[in-house]
Amino acid sequence: MPKDHDKDVYPEPPSRTPVEDRQSSLPNPALILSKLFYYSVDLPVTTFRGIQSGKKSHYYHQKFRRVPELTQCQEGDYVCYYEAEMQWRRDYKVDQEIVKVIQERLRACQQREGPSYSQNCYKELQQFEQVSKAFQSRYGDLGAYASARKCLMKQKERMMAEQHAFATSST
Amino acid sequence: MVGMSFLRTAAAFTARLNPLKRTCQASNLLSRTVARSEQVVVRHGSHGKRMFIIKPTDFYDRRFLHLLKYYIILAGIPMAALVTFVNVFIGESELAEIPEGYEPEHWEYYKHPITRWIARTFYDSPVKDYEKMMALIQIEAEKAEMRQLQLEVRRHMREKGDGPWFQIQTLDKNLIDHSPKSSPDN
Repeated sequence: MPKDHDKDVYPEPPSRTPVEDRQSSLPNPALILSKLFYYSVDLPVTTFRGIQSGKKSHYYHQKFRRVPELTQCQEGDYVCYYEAEMQWRRDYKVDQEIVKVIQERLRACQQREGPSYSQNCYKELQQFEQVSKAFQSRYGDLGAYASARKCLMKQKERMMAEQHAFATSST
Repeated sequence: MVGMSFLRTAAAFTARLNPLKRTCQASNLLSRTVARSEQVVVRHGSHGKRMFIIKPTDFYDRRFLHLLKYYIILAGIPMAALVTFVNVFIGESELAEIPEGYEPEHWEYYKHPITRWIARTFYDSPVKDYEKMMALIQIEAEKAEMRQLQLEVRRHMREKGDGPWFQIQTLDKNLIDHSPKSSPDN
């Protein structure tokens, strides 16, 4: 398959292929299937594309300008509300993808390390815990009809609870 | 009674005549008597005796399944062929950085060629949709503001009474005939 993106621009973490420790003499079916797919589909298509010169088409990541947030909008300025809402939705999607990337890293780490993952993947585990706690506290129970307003109200509740806890702990 | 006994004797007589053809006797079916079949090991050169198996009709079910398969395959095979050819011969786009001073078209933000074609042919650009939505919101906001203003103005004009609304026309003072009250002793 043609390479998806330029690896220098969006680098992946270095892959650490572990030493294979086969404990059964049966052939690995995943390996067989992947080799089958490679020789029957992948190789012909790649060689064909290599022969074909053709102009390559590119796709880009869209860059959005930052607009004033919901807290910086005048009251009753509905257009400003709309722009802030759209920006919040884009940020929500980005945060979801960030959590997915961290999850993927943890999953890969666990697959690599095998039974001793809780000891060897400590960094990934900590990172995942931190990220998921932050996500939960900000976007946690907003539900399917989440909006920028509801998130703002949740933040207000959080700040009030924090102040309350601070006040009761200091007195 | 006599007729029935006559029929029974006739059935017994025919049974005696050809003992092999005794499968479909009405008396056997109705009176629950089972004809004793001689169990012999017979080897046929075919699949055995042809049976007429009585079961409920499966005509409608088989017709439905046949039509379902037909209509699905009718559109499915051309679509599958199209998608295969697009994937093999045209292929997906590659990710690149946006060049300096170049504004990509709205379909150039998608990877798969069919998605790009759909975005190019049928859909408006997301920027245009965004602006359309903002225009609608602006119109509605202005309408709401106008309505609020109108209610406020109504309130003021009713209260003060010096505006053009809520005026009730009265008759001209010059039309009043003062003659009945103009002289005192009348």
